[in-house]
Amino acid sequence: MLVSAVFAAQAGPITVVDDGGTTVALQASPQRIVSLLPSLTESVCALGGCARLVATDRWSNWPARVAALPKLGGLEDAHVERIVAMRPDLVLLAPASRLGGRLRSLGLPVAELDATELGQVRRVLEKVAALMGEPQAAGAQWQRMQAELRAAREAVPERARGTAVYVEVSSAPYAASESSYIGELLAQLGAGNVVPAALGPFPKLNPEFVVRARPALIVVSADDRQSLTQRPGWAALTAVRQGRICALPPADMDVLSRPGPRVGQAAMVLARCLREHAVPVAEAPAAPAR
Amino acid sequence: MLSALVVVLALVLCTWGLGMGADGWQAPWQAWVDPGQRAILLDIRAPRTLGAFLVGALLGLGGAVAQGLFRNPLAEPHLLGSASGAGLIMALAWSVGGAWGGGLLARLGLTVLAFVGAVGGVVLTLLLARGAAHTLRLLLAGVVVGVVLGALTQWLMLWSAEAWRAMQAFMLGNTALLGWDACALLGAMWLLTLPLALAMSRVLDALALGEDTTRSLGVPLGLARGVLVAVLAATTAAAVAQAGLVAFVGLVAPHLVRGWGAGRHRVRLWAASAMGGALMLVSDVLARSLLPPQELPVGVLTAVLGGVYLLVLLHRRPT
Amino acid sequence: MSAVMLQARGLSVARGTATVVRDVHLAARAGEWLAIVGPNGAGKSSLLRALAGLWPAASGDVRLCGERMSPGPSRGSLGLRARQLAWMGQGLASEEALSVDEVVALGRLPHQGWWGWPSRSANDRAAIEQALQDTDLLALRQRTLQALSGGERQRAHLARVLATQASVLLLDEPSAHLDAPHQRLLAQVLRTQAQRGCAVVSVVHELPLALAADRIAVMQSGTLLACGDAGEPAVHRAIETVFAQAVRIVLVEGRWTALPCY
Repeated sequence: MLVSAVFAAQAGPITVVDDGGTTVALQASPQRIVSLLPSLTESVCALGGCARLVATDRWSNWPARVAALPKLGGLEDAHVERIVAMRPDLVLLAPASRLGGRLRSLGLPVAELDATELGQVRRVLEKVAALMGEPQAAGAQWQRMQAELRAAREAVPERARGTAVYVEVSSAPYAASESSYIGELLAQLGAGNVVPAALGPFPKLNPEFVVRARPALIVVSADDRQSLTQRPGWAALTAVRQGRICALPPADMDVLSRPGPRVGQAAMVLARCLREHAVPVAEAPAAPAR
Repeated sequence: MLSALVVVLALVLCTWGLGMGADGWQAPWQAWVDPGQRAILLDIRAPRTLGAFLVGALLGLGGAVAQGLFRNPLAEPHLLGSASGAGLIMALAWSVGGAWGGGLLARLGLTVLAFVGAVGGVVLTLLLARGAAHTLRLLLAGVVVGVVLGALTQWLMLWSAEAWRAMQAFMLGNTALLGWDACALLGAMWLLTLPLALAMSRVLDALALGEDTTRSLGVPLGLARGVLVAVLAATTAAAVAQAGLVAFVGLVAPHLVRGWGAGRHRVRLWAASAMGGALMLVSDVLARSLLPPQELPVGVLTAVLGGVYLLVLLHRRPT
Repeated sequence: MSAVMLQARGLSVARGTATVVRDVHLAARAGEWLAIVGPNGAGKSSLLRALAGLWPAASGDVRLCGERMSPGPSRGSLGLRARQLAWMGQGLASEEALSVDEVVALGRLPHQGWWGWPSRSANDRAAIEQALQDTDLLALRQRTLQALSGGERQRAHLARVLATQASVLLLDEPSAHLDAPHQRLLAQVLRTQAQRGCAVVSVVHELPLALAADRIAVMQSGTLLACGDAGEPAVHRAIETVFAQAVRIVLVEGRWTALPCY
């Protein structure tokens, strides 16, 4: 879904319709960009605009140079005054943040871009490129991302396809279902998810459900790995007994939760998990019927 | 007659709890036959049902002690800084030490830390109120301490990713991961604090007549208060360390049994404890049963159940 | 002259920066009912609290059976003192769900000890029965405080004090909320206690009731103006003085009473 009303010249005025339906009009290609969402920060940098970033939100940490930029607060509670003090000529944020209206009323150009699903990543990338005044840069990046996705898919051995996976994002337990970004990546790699899409992207589950679903592979953050195995009744899970647990460091968990230019890397993390802990399809139960 | 009713009720609740699984209710005796299901019944459902009851029993007891000690119907573990103190210490523990694992030793360690935090919260409240002499001042100080410690906890969660992740379920209460070791800890604490509180029931009764009258009856008020505060901190710490912050049970349970004419603490402490346990158990089972296989945070249900029941009671009473 | 049970010597009590009781010398003897009278703000309640050992003496001392009362006693002596001295304050709790029986039973706390499983010995039960009978509350024993009238509550608290079977009784306004028949009952109860050998000290607002006592102490602005037998003219003049001549003490049908002069 390429944006239509775009003036291609880098030096000329730019008009883009953001995901909130607002038309963002810029006089020239922005040189002082503030990004308040990690995936948008990564998109700007992937498109070569890292030097133009003046400040980000608290959670943006990739690439490394971004860590040195001033941090303006979280996703819900960014510091309006400090944002204004940065004199940005473009502010990028998620529509869920309530700051858009406030910042616009203060005269700042704001673009709300929403990337929570795999299908939205391309569109957001193209809009960010258009906003930066370099619409053609998106194409090259997208090609790269597709290639990385293909490579990840190929890295998954045949025997690992159809593996029933349980991905835990928080120890309540909150799981990632089929309809989450992680779930979509797993589907791309040919793996199954024990948590159906009908429960929403990140449902809080009854732990009994997971035990009964008997996943063949568990993906969890490294911090929670030990307590997961000690949960009442979980020691009986085949995946726990055979050590088929993929404990991911925080950096990998970050990649998995940011739909954006690192989609290939995210897919590769999951592919590696599947390959290292794969089980012959004949032994593993398929994603259970509901 | 009443005891028979209580026993029947207990059996019904247990059966309901043991049968409620991720797909809805199934009679426990049917589940027993299948070995896979039996394991789930014994390893997951039984301990969490019992654990939920014990958490509620501890909170109900703490609430009754707090209300008797401070002679105020609004007193409860959350309002006196003990729960927020325990929560803050646990957030600190998680941010410094990362995940603690779920074994018995880890749970014990967290409980001890939570006790330190709970005592710290109450002591802070007492310092701020310059002693427990003035009930109003004490409760105001307790609210301030609770809010400030809660804010510090939230701030800590922003700073530390480990604390943030670990506290997600904690903030609204979580009974989903209570196993037999948690039950052992909770049970031990209950068996320790309940007799201790009962031994103080005369003092709690006397306090209803005023502090001067209590002193004139020969009660060493400073020492007695110390013991009661320790009981309050211990019950809160154990409950918070295992199940997170469950508000409202400690406040509501003593009120729900007030209507049973239990003015004497000898009866009131037992009754509030049992009512708290029942409230928590029902909330836990409902949390699992409303949207299977998803679970609601149990703290939401205790607030709704307790609040609605309290409103009904208030509506019916003439005063 | 019977034994002095409770004695204040040069007692002064301060609340914050104000001195509410100044240099009071008072003795309560066994077998005597002493009534303390005075206008509002005279320091009567403060004096009673100090006599009960609830408030510390700023100067002077209070002695119970010869033993000096210190504000921070050891646990053993606290219990002993509570068995010898029972105090009833003003403005008592009414919101409670405690029943009359339970309130009266609390009077036995000094004998049972504050720690331990609550149970009642035979002595306890006998004392409670006696106290309920003396205050005419046997019919109401299962009612809760909330369900009682002001006068009934007052009698319940009085019964609690009687149940302790202490040798010194300190009562602050025991006649509050009591109607005439029950005031008579109160007078009978206090006189009976005195006859049994107790030292009874009561702060009383109603002058006719005070004049029924054995001795009267007249207070004004924290000091003791006069202290003597209830029939003494000097005491009567003192009463008239502190009440700004709004009352006159006269002899009517063989008993002293106060006539209002307005």
